[in-house]
Amino acid sequence: MTELATQRETGGNGLIAEEVLGFQRNMTRRGIIFSFTGYISEGILKALGDALRQKIRLESTDNKTVNRVFSVFVEQVQNIIRYSAERIEHDAEPPVELSSGMITVGSEKGRFFVICGNIIAREDADTLGGRLSELQGMDSEALRRFYKEKLREPPDEGSKGGSIGLIEIARRASEPIQFDFEHLSDEYSYFVLKAYI
Amino acid sequence: MAAMEPIRHEATDRTPEVLFDFAAGQYRIAGESYPEDAASFYGPLTQGLRQAVEARASDSLEFSVEMIYFNSSTAKALMNLFQILEEAAEAGMGVRINWCYHEDDETMEEFGEDFSEDFAHADYRMCPTS
Repeated sequence: MTELATQRETGGNGLIAEEVLGFQRNMTRRGIIFSFTGYISEGILKALGDALRQKIRLESTDNKTVNRVFSVFVEQVQNIIRYSAERIEHDAEPPVELSSGMITVGSEKGRFFVICGNIIAREDADTLGGRLSELQGMDSEALRRFYKEKLREPPDEGSKGGSIGLIEIARRASEPIQFDFEHLSDEYSYFVLKAYI
Repeated sequence: MAAMEPIRHEATDRTPEVLFDFAAGQYRIAGESYPEDAASFYGPLTQGLRQAVEARASDSLEFSVEMIYFNSSTAKALMNLFQILEEAAEAGMGVRINWCYHEDDETMEEFGEDFSEDFAHADYRMCPTS
């Protein structure tokens, strides 16, 4: 074995593979198909969305489930892109618009789940929590009515249409959506939304 | 007034095929829709339809929607288009809407039924295909 090869296997960085493998195995154990953390753009949404569709189609899942998972994924990622408080905007050509957050898709006991997490302004947490609690209490028929009602209304101030996106997520989920907040500072909270399909 | 030029868009990965032939009164949106910016994609379509209706660019019109998947911002945009169509029908224009979907696609069927509720004057038809 050459000196170089030995170095590659153990030399100084020998723990990296163990650490990364451990990290990956931990994710696999949790049923995670993929997880993305960092700055998300519409281009990343497209690329991850394509990979997601291919992956769940391969698992011979019926079309209905593929479409539902995909729809929940798109709405969650677009929520991060539009509402994350951690964002970079630049008027370059083409314009740069990146928002930070985390998106995870996995399966557990034969059901898919989609989780998103991102930082929001702490002052928005109560409004968002209130909206989501309201959705949790609705059955599928009530959600269908509510979605329609919101479509007829002009969008809420500053919502960029996001309230309809949350209803779409709740409609495609097979049980009430879960959400939580972790207060980070006086200014910011971390918001998590999980939907089983 | 000069005839309004049609709007034609080829389908892309994230936006549907569009044909708005104002003078012929033929309109079609087909495919998948989850644009990066729904307002900039659908804004000109909404504006074009509104102008065509106001200018009576055609005596009657037929509007076909053949979607496979659309996101919530697209749903909002479709609603805006439909409101213009219903107003035109109420004002006496012959308006027919075809909501086309695959017969196994419950999601698109449900959306079609829900949109139908807002039409009292336009001739709204559900068109399942196999």
